[in-house]
Amino acid sequence: MSDTQNQNNRSQLKSAISSEVMIDLNKVNKWYGDFHVLKDIDLIVHKGERIVVCGPSGSGKSTLIRCINHLEEHQEGTIVVDGITLDKNLKNIDHIRTEVGMVFQSFNLFPHLSILENLTLGPVWVRKKPKAEAVETAMMYLERVKIPEQADKFPGQLSGGQQQRVAIARSLCMNPKIMLFDEPTSALDPEMIKEVLDVMVELAETGMTMIVVTHEMGFAKTIADRVIFMDEGDIVEENEPNAFFDNPQHERTKLFLSQIL
Amino acid sequence: MAIVTISTSNSRPPPINEATLIGWMRMHLFSSPLNSILTILTTYIIYLTVSGVWVWGVVDAIWIADTRRECFDINISGACWAGVSAWMENIFYGRYPREEIWRIDFGLFLLFLWMAPLWMPRVRGKVIIGMTTVFLYPFLAGYLFSGGDKGIFMSVMVSAAIVGIIANTLNATLGVLADRSLSNFVNNKLGFGNAPEEKQQKVFLIFLAVCFVLAYIWQSGWQAEIVSWTKWGGLFLTLVISGIGIASALPGGIILAMGRRSKLPVIRVLSTAFIELFRSVPLITVLFMATTMFPLFMPEGVVLNKLVQVIIAVCLFNACYMAETVRAGLQAIPKGQAEGAHTIGLGYWGTMGLIVMPQALKHMIPNIVGSFMGLLKDTTLVSIIGLFDILGMLRSISRDTPWLGLHKEPLVFGAMLFFIICFAMSKYSRHLEAKLSTGHKV
Repeated sequence: MSDTQNQNNRSQLKSAISSEVMIDLNKVNKWYGDFHVLKDIDLIVHKGERIVVCGPSGSGKSTLIRCINHLEEHQEGTIVVDGITLDKNLKNIDHIRTEVGMVFQSFNLFPHLSILENLTLGPVWVRKKPKAEAVETAMMYLERVKIPEQADKFPGQLSGGQQQRVAIARSLCMNPKIMLFDEPTSALDPEMIKEVLDVMVELAETGMTMIVVTHEMGFAKTIADRVIFMDEGDIVEENEPNAFFDNPQHERTKLFLSQIL
Repeated sequence: MAIVTISTSNSRPPPINEATLIGWMRMHLFSSPLNSILTILTTYIIYLTVSGVWVWGVVDAIWIADTRRECFDINISGACWAGVSAWMENIFYGRYPREEIWRIDFGLFLLFLWMAPLWMPRVRGKVIIGMTTVFLYPFLAGYLFSGGDKGIFMSVMVSAAIVGIIANTLNATLGVLADRSLSNFVNNKLGFGNAPEEKQQKVFLIFLAVCFVLAYIWQSGWQAEIVSWTKWGGLFLTLVISGIGIASALPGGIILAMGRRSKLPVIRVLSTAFIELFRSVPLITVLFMATTMFPLFMPEGVVLNKLVQVIIAVCLFNACYMAETVRAGLQAIPKGQAEGAHTIGLGYWGTMGLIVMPQALKHMIPNIVGSFMGLLKDTTLVSIIGLFDILGMLRSISRDTPWLGLHKEPLVFGAMLFFIICFAMSKYSRHLEAKLSTGHKV
């Protein structure tokens, strides 16, 4: 894709961002034992915004997004998702998790259930939808990720790229307001990376609020409204993708980009 | 120089080897002189053993005789199966009154009738069938076997079980013949065929309630003759104890295993203590505790049924072993599975019940069935504390005057019975594994 096309795409996409705040992190701190993994993180994500988080391993980027749907517990600061404050209240946590979809590096599909059952489980058991309606929605999303013919197979029979697309469809079936991606392509072959990224770009075009932890810089340039660079638990630099890649401010960012690009 | 293949080559089937029996034997049995010698030697040893058993147990065996003396007179070197066949009813039913034995057979038939739909395709509501087998059938069978005055609780449970077995059988028949559920059928007949699902469920529940009232009225009209538990024995008693043990060990083990992994300290410590206590004591000690020590802790005047005490002891003991098996299964499930379940909004119970536990149990099928087989065989220990289970019955043949000293044949017969039951369980577990396997492991 040429740079001009890139620009055009992004300007179209950007119009979807509204002023409504979806995620609000305020002075979030977290420790694993003595290890200070998140240090005073402040982050505001608006509705429709697409954010790419990058940084060296161990910098806390996965932990950051896992805190947003409370797979990890933060110890200090506040996290507000879709107007609900994350605290010890289990009801709030369960509610936020239904609104926040998440895709993992290791897919985490349920191997004992067929693809279709993987997709309908949440809608039927959590959203209490009738089975027929859930199946219909599931097939629609399977078509969107281009593998409707795999509906009756089991996850173990699919390739990595197909599994990851099923995982994305599974999250979408819950009709989430926010999607989190935790290195969705890191476990995949180059050929499969592309098919997954294509699905994610399509998803971005629908105006979904997304936070993506990834090292795919081409992807970041295409769809991100903001790129965040993290190192040792800090947000070191935060900027629009063009400025971020062409003119990084911080020494650490420059070093990282020179290694990865 | 560059090599370019224009088209991809066609796949070929894998090479066939060991196609014929001769080829197979050459490859595996006679591949070298040493292997040939070993093969011949082993065959000779097998021949010696098998032929000895064959001659003793079949060729020279005596099938019809009235006493052991008669057997000796006919052929002293053969097996005296006449003694086993004379005691056959005792071996299977113990001292259960002969004219009431049909109740045991009928009870077993009901169990078969209840569980058969689980294996039939097209039958709906298998979870409910399984649950009612565990929670309703035991009461019906228990009353059928023991009889006597029902009391209110037993009346209610027996009525519920009667409704259960009838509904279950009709449901299975409709499922196989017409591919529909009983609920669907009833709703159609009553004119609610197009009503929404929830309404249909309500209608069906009301229908069941009406059936329950009818069954209650019907069952209050008769009473089975009382048969004291002291008359229970033989294979029947073994199957009752181990059947209840098996049916309760798995649910009990699941609860204990979840307790041991709980985040709540009180539950975790209690479960752990309970499991470790029972696991560190031999079963025979637990049985003696249950029958001799336990009544001492009871308030004065409470007389406990020894059989009930034994069954409770067996259940608790095996639930603790099962708990560790289930826990091992739970630990084999990657953390990502629970995380995946959380991200689609499932809470603790949903994650456990739908995602983690089914996978854990599936992985553990060989171990679980192994425990069940162990449980069945361990049940014979109750003959030491004075219950006449199958082992007790087999051994009392040698104390019966006409068959005095007949030890070998009854025990061989018992071994064959156990082998048949355990082998069937083992085969079924393999079948279950194959059926539940879902392609490659992730």
